[in-house]
Amino acid sequence: MSARPPQRGRIALLGLLALLVTAAPLLAPRPPELQEDAAGARYLPPLTRGHGLRVDALHVRIVTGLRRTADGWEFERAGKKEALPGTALAGPPEPRFYLLGTDALGRDLLSRVLFGARHSLGIAALSVALALFLGIAVGSVAGYAGGAWDTALMRGVDALMSIPRVLVYLLCAALFTPSSLLLVLVLGGTTWTGLARVVRAGMMSIRTSDLALQARALGSRPLRVVILHLLPQLGPILATAASLRFADTLLLESALSLLGLGPPPPAVSLGGIMGSGRDVLAEAWWIVAWPGLIIGATVATLRSAAADLFRLADPPSLS
Amino acid sequence: MLSFLARRCASALPLLIGVLTLVFVLVEAAPGDPFQIEPGPGVSREAAAHLREIYGTDRPFLQRYLAWLEGFLSFDLGVSLSYREPVAGLVRKALGNTLWLAGAALVLEFVLGTAAGVAAAWWQRRPLDRLVGGAATVLYSVPSFWLALVLVFLLSVRLGWLPASQMHSIDALELGAGPRLLDLLRHLVLPCLALALPSAAGIALYVRQELKDLLGRPFVRIARARGAGRVGIVLRHALKNALVPVVNLFGVALPGLVGGSVVIEVLFAWPGMGRLAYQAVLARDTPLVLGCVWVASLGVVGGSLAADLLSAVLDPRVREAGP
Repeated sequence: MSARPPQRGRIALLGLLALLVTAAPLLAPRPPELQEDAAGARYLPPLTRGHGLRVDALHVRIVTGLRRTADGWEFERAGKKEALPGTALAGPPEPRFYLLGTDALGRDLLSRVLFGARHSLGIAALSVALALFLGIAVGSVAGYAGGAWDTALMRGVDALMSIPRVLVYLLCAALFTPSSLLLVLVLGGTTWTGLARVVRAGMMSIRTSDLALQARALGSRPLRVVILHLLPQLGPILATAASLRFADTLLLESALSLLGLGPPPPAVSLGGIMGSGRDVLAEAWWIVAWPGLIIGATVATLRSAAADLFRLADPPSLS
Repeated sequence: MLSFLARRCASALPLLIGVLTLVFVLVEAAPGDPFQIEPGPGVSREAAAHLREIYGTDRPFLQRYLAWLEGFLSFDLGVSLSYREPVAGLVRKALGNTLWLAGAALVLEFVLGTAAGVAAAWWQRRPLDRLVGGAATVLYSVPSFWLALVLVFLLSVRLGWLPASQMHSIDALELGAGPRLLDLLRHLVLPCLALALPSAAGIALYVRQELKDLLGRPFVRIARARGAGRVGIVLRHALKNALVPVVNLFGVALPGLVGGSVVIEVLFAWPGMGRLAYQAVLARDTPLVLGCVWVASLGVVGGSLAADLLSAVLDPRVREAGP
């Protein structure tokens, strides 16, 4: 394998994504649920410049091609030319810019995608955090203690890994009510098995190292040896495994939300947005395109970052 | 070899019992029982008690657990609540359709992935190598469900070449055997591509990298010095070594294939097990969901058994080490 140094660009891209996602409420031009004018703003393509005409306290009309005439305004709304006298407006026309277009209910896709990414990445992050906790705990016990503990725990891991994760979620969705919490619990509760195997293998290879022997000779208890001395050694390997798991979990969460098995609205997720656009590809390809691009780019970045981390963990003498 | 076979098969049964135990715990943890009485008109208390007795939900924990194991291990999967038919029959019908799809995807995945990887390594650092590398990196990262939607949009909606959903045309029953198979294959193309392309890309990337490494090794130079042709070196010496881990990969990738086919089946309205499970969830048909989970897990355990046996055939070191 070529000894390429880890690339800063990827870390920067992930950082940017994290920033976008945390700052979603500040960055989104409008609330993700806002339906200003469901009929007028329906399926506006990306980069549409339009205006919001306020007719009264409650109603706004989203129009394009606004022109001033002698006695009022001329514009296009939902594909038809219309006109309004100047006196019909409750205020001056407000400019509207739809960078990523709108959906069937005239909601701004940029705002929805930002909030959707926040939701999807948040669920994936919490799931991986849960998985890391469980995986480290079980893997450490199995790898460090060995013997009957190892056998019992690893047989359990094997059994859990034999049920495809999608089906575990389907079963839980039938038994309980779908919600964000259920998603995190099931995704985290099925992801940890792979991490536990990684930790166990690592523990087994270093539990008899000089480092562990010296720590034990100084009288440290097993818990202290594992947490303070051995786990830090596994850091890079764990980071690699965790970023791969993160990518898989994001893909799975999106697939489940796409099928409508995620948390119900008003929760908005990347998969959910794609699901709402999948039957109108011919009229509004952009609804499916943006969430897909974000998921694909995130997954690709995470996977190549994992490869970088792995190279960091892997001494050059081995390769 | 025989003792390896026996040991490996014997380890599958505890695994299946483990799967059943996990699912049992989940079902027991779910709130309520099927015969819970709602206030108001409905089932009387006596009738509910009678139903509980028939279905055995009033028995003690251990008895329920043993009955549960016995039921699944003997394929007595109960009756579907939404279809009012035995679950086993429904699952068997759907399983055939899933095997068509997953089998075709698996073959395509390995053939396409290996061929692309070999081609890239053959023309190293040529435009084709770069093309394979680039395309595979993109395809490997793209979610398969997104690829599915894009393929439908391009090949079905825009160009109208292929049907976008279902397994047969509406008039398929009136067709002869030949046209009918053709009809099935036309319906198979899009879901199969969507399911296979991302994994094929992964395999292509792996085979390409592995071949490039292997072709620089001393044993390849020795083979060349002995006068072996380029085809012989790449196919017989390098590819054979590169493929052993790919076979192992198959066992690891199987849960993903089964899981991925759930999404693809639903998107393409393919009447397989994934779609059956999905519809069962929407209908809150727990026995049917359980049946699907059980058969899918059996498939995964059986598949990884097959992968282990295959790699034991290919690699004597595996046989010696045992399971």
